[in-house]
Amino acid sequence: MSNRRSKVAFAATSVVLTIAVAACGSSSSSPSSTKTSGGVAPTTAGGDQGNVAAAFNAATKGVVNASTTKGGTLNLLATADFDNLDPTRTYYAYSWDFQRFFTRSLMGFDSKPGADGTKAVPDLATGKGVVSNGGKTITYTLKDGVKFQDGTAITSKDIKYGVERNFAQDILPGGPTYLHDMLDEGQNYPGPYKDTDPNKLGLKSVQTPDDKTIVFNLSAPYSDWDYIMTLPSAAPVEEKFDQDPNTGGAKYANHVQSTGPYEIQSYEPNKSLVLVPNPNWDPSTDTIHHQLVNKVVLTEGLDSDDMDKRLLSGQGDIEIESTGVQSAAQTQILRDPTLKKSSDSPLTGFTRMFALDQNVPELSNLDCRKAVEYATNKVDLQTARGGPIGGGDIATTVAPPTLPGYQSFNNYPVGSDNTGDLTQAKAELAKCGKPTGFHTNIATTNKGKGPKVAQALQAALARVGIQADIQQFDSSSYYSTVVGTPSNVHKKDLGIIVAGWGADFPTGFGYFSAIADGRKILQSGGNSNWAEVNDPAINAALDDMTATTDAAQKAKDVQTIDHALMDGAYYLPFTYDKALTYHNPRVTNVYITNAFGMYDFDSMGVNDGK
Amino acid sequence: MIAFLIRRIIQAVTVLLAVSLITFGLFFLVPKLTGSDPAALFAGRVTNPDALNGIRIKLGLNHPLLQQYWDYLGGFFHARHFDDGPDKTTCSWPCLGYSFKNDLSVGHLIADRFPVTLSLAIGAPIIWLVTGVTVGRISALRPRSMADRASMLVALAAISLPVYFTAAVLRLFVVYDWHWLPDINYVGFTHDPVLWAKNLLLPWISLATLYAASYARFTRASMLDVLNEDYIRTARAKGLPERTVINRHAMRPVGTLIITLFGMDVGALMGGAILTESVFGLPGLGKLGYDAISQHDLPIIMGVTILAAFFIVVANVVVDMLYAVIDPRVRLS
Amino acid sequence: MTTLPGDASTLHDDFGEPSTPEPGTPAAKAIEGRSLTKIAWTRLKRDRVAMTAGCVVVFMCLLGLFSALIYPHLGGGPQLPHSDLIDGNTTLPTGTAGGVSAQHWLGVDPTFGRDIAARIVEGAKWSLLISFASTVLTVILGLVAGLLAGYFGGWVDSAVNWLMAVFLAFPVVLFGIALVSGMPTTAFGLDNLWLHVVLLILIIGGFGWAYFGRIVRGQVLTLREKEFVDASRSLGASELRIVFKEIMPNLVAPILVFTSLQIPANILAEAAFSFLGVGIPLPHASWGGMLNDALNYYEYDPAYLFIPGIAIFVTVLAFNLFGDGVRDAFDPKAGR
Repeated sequence: MSNRRSKVAFAATSVVLTIAVAACGSSSSSPSSTKTSGGVAPTTAGGDQGNVAAAFNAATKGVVNASTTKGGTLNLLATADFDNLDPTRTYYAYSWDFQRFFTRSLMGFDSKPGADGTKAVPDLATGKGVVSNGGKTITYTLKDGVKFQDGTAITSKDIKYGVERNFAQDILPGGPTYLHDMLDEGQNYPGPYKDTDPNKLGLKSVQTPDDKTIVFNLSAPYSDWDYIMTLPSAAPVEEKFDQDPNTGGAKYANHVQSTGPYEIQSYEPNKSLVLVPNPNWDPSTDTIHHQLVNKVVLTEGLDSDDMDKRLLSGQGDIEIESTGVQSAAQTQILRDPTLKKSSDSPLTGFTRMFALDQNVPELSNLDCRKAVEYATNKVDLQTARGGPIGGGDIATTVAPPTLPGYQSFNNYPVGSDNTGDLTQAKAELAKCGKPTGFHTNIATTNKGKGPKVAQALQAALARVGIQADIQQFDSSSYYSTVVGTPSNVHKKDLGIIVAGWGADFPTGFGYFSAIADGRKILQSGGNSNWAEVNDPAINAALDDMTATTDAAQKAKDVQTIDHALMDGAYYLPFTYDKALTYHNPRVTNVYITNAFGMYDFDSMGVNDGK
Repeated sequence: MIAFLIRRIIQAVTVLLAVSLITFGLFFLVPKLTGSDPAALFAGRVTNPDALNGIRIKLGLNHPLLQQYWDYLGGFFHARHFDDGPDKTTCSWPCLGYSFKNDLSVGHLIADRFPVTLSLAIGAPIIWLVTGVTVGRISALRPRSMADRASMLVALAAISLPVYFTAAVLRLFVVYDWHWLPDINYVGFTHDPVLWAKNLLLPWISLATLYAASYARFTRASMLDVLNEDYIRTARAKGLPERTVINRHAMRPVGTLIITLFGMDVGALMGGAILTESVFGLPGLGKLGYDAISQHDLPIIMGVTILAAFFIVVANVVVDMLYAVIDPRVRLS
Repeated sequence: MTTLPGDASTLHDDFGEPSTPEPGTPAAKAIEGRSLTKIAWTRLKRDRVAMTAGCVVVFMCLLGLFSALIYPHLGGGPQLPHSDLIDGNTTLPTGTAGGVSAQHWLGVDPTFGRDIAARIVEGAKWSLLISFASTVLTVILGLVAGLLAGYFGGWVDSAVNWLMAVFLAFPVVLFGIALVSGMPTTAFGLDNLWLHVVLLILIIGGFGWAYFGRIVRGQVLTLREKEFVDASRSLGASELRIVFKEIMPNLVAPILVFTSLQIPANILAEAAFSFLGVGIPLPHASWGGMLNDALNYYEYDPAYLFIPGIAIFVTVLAFNLFGDGVRDAFDPKAGR
């Protein structure tokens, strides 16, 4: 999932917001243009206790430049287009963050810095899901006055229709499949386009007794349901647009109807996207989203170095992909105190790791896998990722520090300087019966930092006689078909797989289910359990997490799984991912939300009125 | 003449057919041989069977390969209809199919990018033609002079530089270090002609450098050849002014060759300049093709390849005709 | 001038004819006389520029050939990392000019600290191997096609001509990248590295032949009508004998000239493919790949950008100067 930067969690494990060391300097809000007209005093600014002065990493701790100044244009930059603009089909984390401009779901992530941003709070719904029937029935009530951009009131049927779109995988593939997987319950609902129900509302597991009420009937209790409801793919969609052959189905991506503060004025894939305020968005119905700027202009398709230049020279406000600046810009920022002041290096919630596939012969032996763990030079790997600021902190666990329940431990210490414990590695090699080493392959993408990481590992393993050839694959199909198809991994002998993982939503289940559940090894492609882990203890802990509502129990399950994964040496984590990001000093209300491990775009304003 | 033209066009059409067949075969067969499913590439991370099936139907991948090719070819002659449940799409003529990735018509994408490549293929050739021929002419008229030696050495050096290195270094200094030009951000000609030219100046120069050098060498060599011809001696003996000898008599055959060369180069450039476009981040056909390759977006790769081949073939025909018109000695048989 | 002039894919050259329907006048003309090769060699030896360039060429070839013997003297070889020479925060080499030291004459590369001189040597190896092999492929294919078309004429000529038109119509760069990136990482019993080497040779060499074929065809068309061929034919010589004994020797000059100018063009082509990420696979070094990597660091480590750039430039320039010398030696009229 590395190219899909995904959801993160900080926990309620309160990393207490280090409140402004210098709260005085907080908000350099300049001579105001217009003041907030509606009632939208940005809740972001959240009083003053979260405000911090501009400084390196300040936005990871609180709100930088808190302000209610309205007006101006927010200029966003990106190298590539979204995976899809259709809320049902998008799966990139930055895209989910971006959807907040125009997509509202029943629940949403609070617009607060840090761990507070991971809380699922009611958005279109009046409150959290009301659980009944032993956790299997969840009921939401809609707010009054919520509308689509054409002024039509949003009803519970629109939400049900949006959920149903997840079932039309043949026409709308690409998005997360939680809703499809958990609500189908054997009824084989074909999606709204092949629905025989005249109102296209034939999905039986979701009921809409009236226009304000929606009831989800699950087959088993699922305690993270409020998080599922934050997904853009759970957002309401107007049937009349989606059933129209000119604007619906696969074409909906180019005709997305807004429910949020902005609507799409124009969208040219790979070139630009312009957002303007949605007149039918009523701020009094919304406690999460904001409408500070008069226009949001996203420029896409930029060369990444070119994009950095624009950003650092003030021609852009932020880079929405949030993967961090390139090497040149990183050096420039680190050497220039003024630039550094407007930069942050947040934990993205990703763990960068190698999967050691136990079904590839050379790595079927636990001791052989341990030899790989010990021979690793984590400092070189960290440098290959971009160093401690641009790349991340050295990792020893699969779970990232931002995951609720995370605990630090290190099963395979690689020396005091983290460059490898060659003696121990050779001992493990001897134990696995290959004292002189063995031959295997490292699979990686052909773009980004993957090739560098693979080279660093290759050089480190060569020190104990493990010869690893680098196999580069096209990034677009890497996770779906290359390393996502176990049979292909076996056929090509890809013992070591360069990977990265972040949670789809900030819970232990959201993080571990795809990479550790032995019952979810997808043989036909798209598999993320690359190491093909199938450990009954892990599976049980995963089931326990979804059943319990007790946070302490969930945390314990996280630790159980993390330890089991490391004991088996299925994964070799090397960095807790960080991304060096820069924001234009003129941008207001800048903070990192741990829901996405990046800036919260929709809260931003500009203070110079331009 | 007409008969020759017709034969030439028939040949051009068969060549294009062969190119399209080879391209189609390779790009749609190779994934099959290597076991990667184009439908899976389209589906992204989530690959449930429904999704894959839907995509196969949508892209026509469920048909035999030959029929797919036939359908594809059909798109060049008439509109195509993609019926996929509620998702009926008509791809108007000429139809090059739909992008695997973002569902946009390939024809539309190409039309969108073409002005950028066209801009590149207009400005750069003017620069290289003027400088190349001028320098080559000066050199040929004073062979072995300092000017000749110096310019030929520079030309040889220019030919020995990789275009992306020149481009990168130019951009580093002119844009980033010295700030003589704004950073490159393509603007349409109709939008703001001055800004258009400003943005394209560096790409034009870096592309033109190589060709200009090559043209200078070519002009010089063929002009030296021509100046040794008897008819030039005759012209001089007749007492014609040197200027007339050079401009009217010597330049004519040289010009014929240069035009031939020029036509083919511009034709090839119209299909996209991958290196220049990717170094400068210009959203032209070359970049469209290159990006499509990294996303395995076969319909776009196909479309750009065939369009590029089309320009090369057309340029060939045009050049042949021009050649025949300019140089009566050429037998049109 | 190059297989990749700029990067569009026409093939033209200042010593040859642009492709015309009926190349009436072969460009490298007046190649007659048995001892032309010898005369040319004598002339070439007197050309100081060409001989100097030739020395550079030989030097680069030696570097490539004996790379394995040289590595121990160059900071331990092209793949050995030296993380102690890297600043962790910026991932750039510590020290001056990209970490130049007694052990690392040209410094080390960012992120890994690998010896740049050793990587240049490895790059030379791949660059020269691929450009030589692809040129040989081009010459063989072009020679066969040109001989067939030119000598036999008729439908053979039409067929070969048509095939050449097809090959000339391909946008080589685009097609090449698409082909390489669509290939599996290992195939036909070749590992990743050698598969790429072979693919590059096939693509660079396999698309260049049509152009050379046209030159050969033009030459053969003229030679076929010459008196000595007629004489040989009237003496009852077989077709094979005429082709190999009478026509081939007269093609030595164009072959040598073409070869010496095609090699530098192919060096540029290999570098372009590596630059675009479809060339020599990691962790092996290639000049184009180094350039591409260096673009990430140019502002703070310009040496890393210029070293591979200069390596390409010097090598290609030397080949071109030498090639010009060869051409002038065969055809002094075209000389400088």
